[in-house]
Amino acid sequence: MKPAVPAATRFLAGKLRDDIVPHLTGFRQGNAAMTAAMLDMLADEWDVAASRLHGENAALYALVGKCAAFLGENAPAPLDQSDLRISALTATNEALRAQLIDLHAAIEENEATDLDAEIWAFLRGTVESRRVASANF
Amino acid sequence: MKTITEDLLSSYLAARFPDWREVSASNLERLPLGASRETFRFDLAYADSAGEHRDRLILRRDPPASNVDSDRRHEYESYRAIHGHGIPVPRMILLEEDAEHFGGAISLAEDLRGYHNSEYQLQEPAWADRLPRIADELWSTMGSLAAVPCENLDLSFMKPATPETTAMQELDYWEGQMDANDVGPEPVIRAVIRWLRRNPPPPAQKLAMVHGDFRAGNFLYDDDAKLIAVLDWEMAHMGDPLEDLAWSMARVFSFGKDERRGGVAPREEAIRIWEQASGLTADPDALRWWELAMCVKGQAIWNSCAHAWSTVDDPTVIHAYAAWWLRNAQDRAALELMGKL
Repeated sequence: MKPAVPAATRFLAGKLRDDIVPHLTGFRQGNAAMTAAMLDMLADEWDVAASRLHGENAALYALVGKCAAFLGENAPAPLDQSDLRISALTATNEALRAQLIDLHAAIEENEATDLDAEIWAFLRGTVESRRVASANF
Repeated sequence: MKTITEDLLSSYLAARFPDWREVSASNLERLPLGASRETFRFDLAYADSAGEHRDRLILRRDPPASNVDSDRRHEYESYRAIHGHGIPVPRMILLEEDAEHFGGAISLAEDLRGYHNSEYQLQEPAWADRLPRIADELWSTMGSLAAVPCENLDLSFMKPATPETTAMQELDYWEGQMDANDVGPEPVIRAVIRWLRRNPPPPAQKLAMVHGDFRAGNFLYDDDAKLIAVLDWEMAHMGDPLEDLAWSMARVFSFGKDERRGGVAPREEAIRIWEQASGLTADPDALRWWELAMCVKGQAIWNSCAHAWSTVDDPTVIHAYAAWWLRNAQDRAALELMGKL
């Protein structure tokens, strides 16, 4: 799409914020301001979301496999990332995250400190990569 | 959702109060307050045997789906319970629980106009020199609430709690809310929940009426930075007063995007003011437990926003916005408190 989606979305957010929000009051003003902020978040996400999910899924798959092997559990099903739609990548990501939660609990019970540290390092990395520019923290 | 109009309000109040004549609601306006309830303000005029009256009122309505599992009666009774006990709150006027009238239960309260409640206004340069007063007002009022003896209040409508049970009771509740409003796996917060269960805090120093959402943005203040009234009591409950302190210092409410909690004052200063006003001690380990528990509560609420947005016919912008804006920041705050950031 031309103009590029992030640029167009950011432009629309700016027009909404500068040209429309000041002319509204109360509830409508709040809604318009939040809509502008959401457009800015969309602009930030548009270009990076698929790439981030694809890379995260590969790292998460490896980590889940490592934890499963340590615990003597079955290896996860082969990772299939041939569908690059964000909805498909997100579904894969959520399935792997759900497995990680169970495995992390078992790793804690086994006091496997190195793997525990590896899981926390992964979680820190994924949280940092998803930071929202306008967030308070 | 039924549209609330001035005519609807006028006819309802005329029927509810047969002694009133010439009942007229006007200047009805929806306010941009909160994600959990709809809030309106309006002017009311009527006459009775004592003469003519003009009131300014706030109407709150329960929506069909909310990010907070509470109801009109709970907030209404909470305001009434604390009114007159040294914590400034608006006076409650009326509770109507029959959803037939307005499409959802409503409450009416006095409207304290001419004051501010914006947490963002406090970040403007013009307010910088008044922030120490705001900090003192915020955390000393919170400390005063902690100091009110529970036995002096009618909290019979609240779920019972004890100093020994309140921590796990709150954790159970918010974990249940996470489960009920699941919008995807939460490996950070689930790990936090496991840590909280392995490391329970000591019993509360005392039971107090906990506000549940006491932070910048939920109180009225005047131009001199004096706190006028504490609002939004829908999550009030009996519990450990450290809970309010922990919630008020949450990173996600650091509106200045710096070390000032609530965008108002550093953490140490908030704790100092609260301890002085409450006469209690904020044990560092117990406070950290509650700060982590508040990460669970926060994420449960932000997830509830996403869940509410996707399950109602007429979703609101703030539910989607809050979920987008807050969920990752909440994870990051939890990582910091776990020493993993």
